[in-house]
Amino acid sequence: MADDKWTDCVNNLKGVILDMCGVLYDSGEGGGFPIEGSVEAVKRLKASDLQVRFCTNETQATREKFVAKLRRMGFEIDITEVFSPAPAVVAVLKERGLRPHLLVHDDVVPEFDSVDKNNPNCVVIGDAADYFSYQNMNAAFRVLIGLKKPVLFSMGRGRYYKETDGLKLDVGVYMKALEYACDLEAEVVGKPAPMFFEGVLTDMGIQPHEVIMIGDDLMNDVGGAQQCGMKGLQVRTGKYRPSDERHPTVTADGYVDNLAGAVDAILKHCGQ
Amino acid sequence: MTSRRALKTVLIDLSGTLHIEDTAVPGAQEALARLRHAPVSVKFVTNTTKECKRTLLERLRRLRFNIEEHEIFTSLTAARNLLEQKMVRPLLLVEDSALEDFMGIETNNPNAVVIGLAPDHFNYQMLNKAFRLILEGAPLIAIHKARYYKRKDGLALGPGPFVNGLEYATDTQAIVVGKPEKTFFLEALRDLNCSPEEAVMIGDDARDDVGGAQNTGMLGILVKTGKYRAGDEGKINPSPHLTCDSFPEAVNYILQHLLEAK
Repeated sequence: MADDKWTDCVNNLKGVILDMCGVLYDSGEGGGFPIEGSVEAVKRLKASDLQVRFCTNETQATREKFVAKLRRMGFEIDITEVFSPAPAVVAVLKERGLRPHLLVHDDVVPEFDSVDKNNPNCVVIGDAADYFSYQNMNAAFRVLIGLKKPVLFSMGRGRYYKETDGLKLDVGVYMKALEYACDLEAEVVGKPAPMFFEGVLTDMGIQPHEVIMIGDDLMNDVGGAQQCGMKGLQVRTGKYRPSDERHPTVTADGYVDNLAGAVDAILKHCGQ
Repeated sequence: MTSRRALKTVLIDLSGTLHIEDTAVPGAQEALARLRHAPVSVKFVTNTTKECKRTLLERLRRLRFNIEEHEIFTSLTAARNLLEQKMVRPLLLVEDSALEDFMGIETNNPNAVVIGLAPDHFNYQMLNKAFRLILEGAPLIAIHKARYYKRKDGLALGPGPFVNGLEYATDTQAIVVGKPEKTFFLEALRDLNCSPEEAVMIGDDARDDVGGAQNTGMLGILVKTGKYRAGDEGKINPSPHLTCDSFPEAVNYILQHLLEAK
């Protein structure tokens, strides 16, 4: 697109944070497919002087399996560059001595191997997809309603995401359901929680205004990054919908057709 | 009371007011008979997501209440009326036992979503389907938004949490059709040629029965049977027009105080 006025906002750019699903690839049956030009775009970014990190709310697999899947698609990604909610929530649980009841996808359960889950005193909810049955929701609800001080951790608060066969409800919807049922507010771990983004910034060792976040989720990627003082770019892939560009409260610093287009413009502007 | 017009209609809640499970409130059948001798219309209004009118009627007749099917107005009827008004085809997330009340409604190629209490339908696939319809513009119609209810094996999630989740997913507001919504009470009166100022509601739920009716402009009478807990009358503002022990007492009050001064 011609409207790359947004590149003015990337002066002094030192780092880029990429969302994964909907930016790098579209998920779906058999794991999904890379978005055209994204494999190449990541390669070019990593060859530049910019620092690159990946920030996902993916909780349908362990970080190891998830990264292996992306490498099979051709992405040059190292596990140490990837930030996801499960390891973050495990750290919080240990710090606060909490024992979780898990309402998560079976494939992410190994991330919680080191955590005591007996006699639970909190609930952790992730993108459980088909595991979001009435029975499983009810089991989580009963744990919460039975606690004196119910604590609910939600790994992300997304509304929906796109798979190859259509849009699917994300964890935020089920988080809202439990919040409403128990009259509580969940603690979100993952995007858009500032703590999550700050962890990534600390790892990069640079200031928020030197970083741009690129994502397909207006609220969680763009809005979340802007809240932390970063710039936020929305790609018109993945879950993007045209109405996002007229959103009443969140406006991206720029909108680009896809990751390849964003990387072209960034590298050109940075003179690389 | 000076601004009120003469009483024309008495709305009566069912469960907790006329009966508790399979037992009638003592004296309720006889009180209803006395009320029917007065020059007022009577209608029975209830929030239900799983019992069709026929099931409700069969239970009431077993308990020897003199009631006609057309006098019963439920949240399912309200949902049906709304579907007919909007001329839409619903995806019905209600239990099979409630489907009878939607007989004759076209459901192929749906362009609306109706949510009751339907544990069997609250799975990921079905909610995704509902979500996509709403995103395409289908109205989300909720029978009611109760957070949870009591089952024999403990507490269980009601429809409210799932409605709330879909509202969040789609950035829309559900149309709630049951008590305590104003439209519910207005719909109940629609075929009676009666304004809310000419009606009184009797029920055991301070918020849903009495509060809802009074917000619509009716008088509300709270009975201390069913789910009533001490102090409930203080939980709504304005407080109930009257709080009394049970349905027969409410009828006595209506006959003595709301019908005489014409």
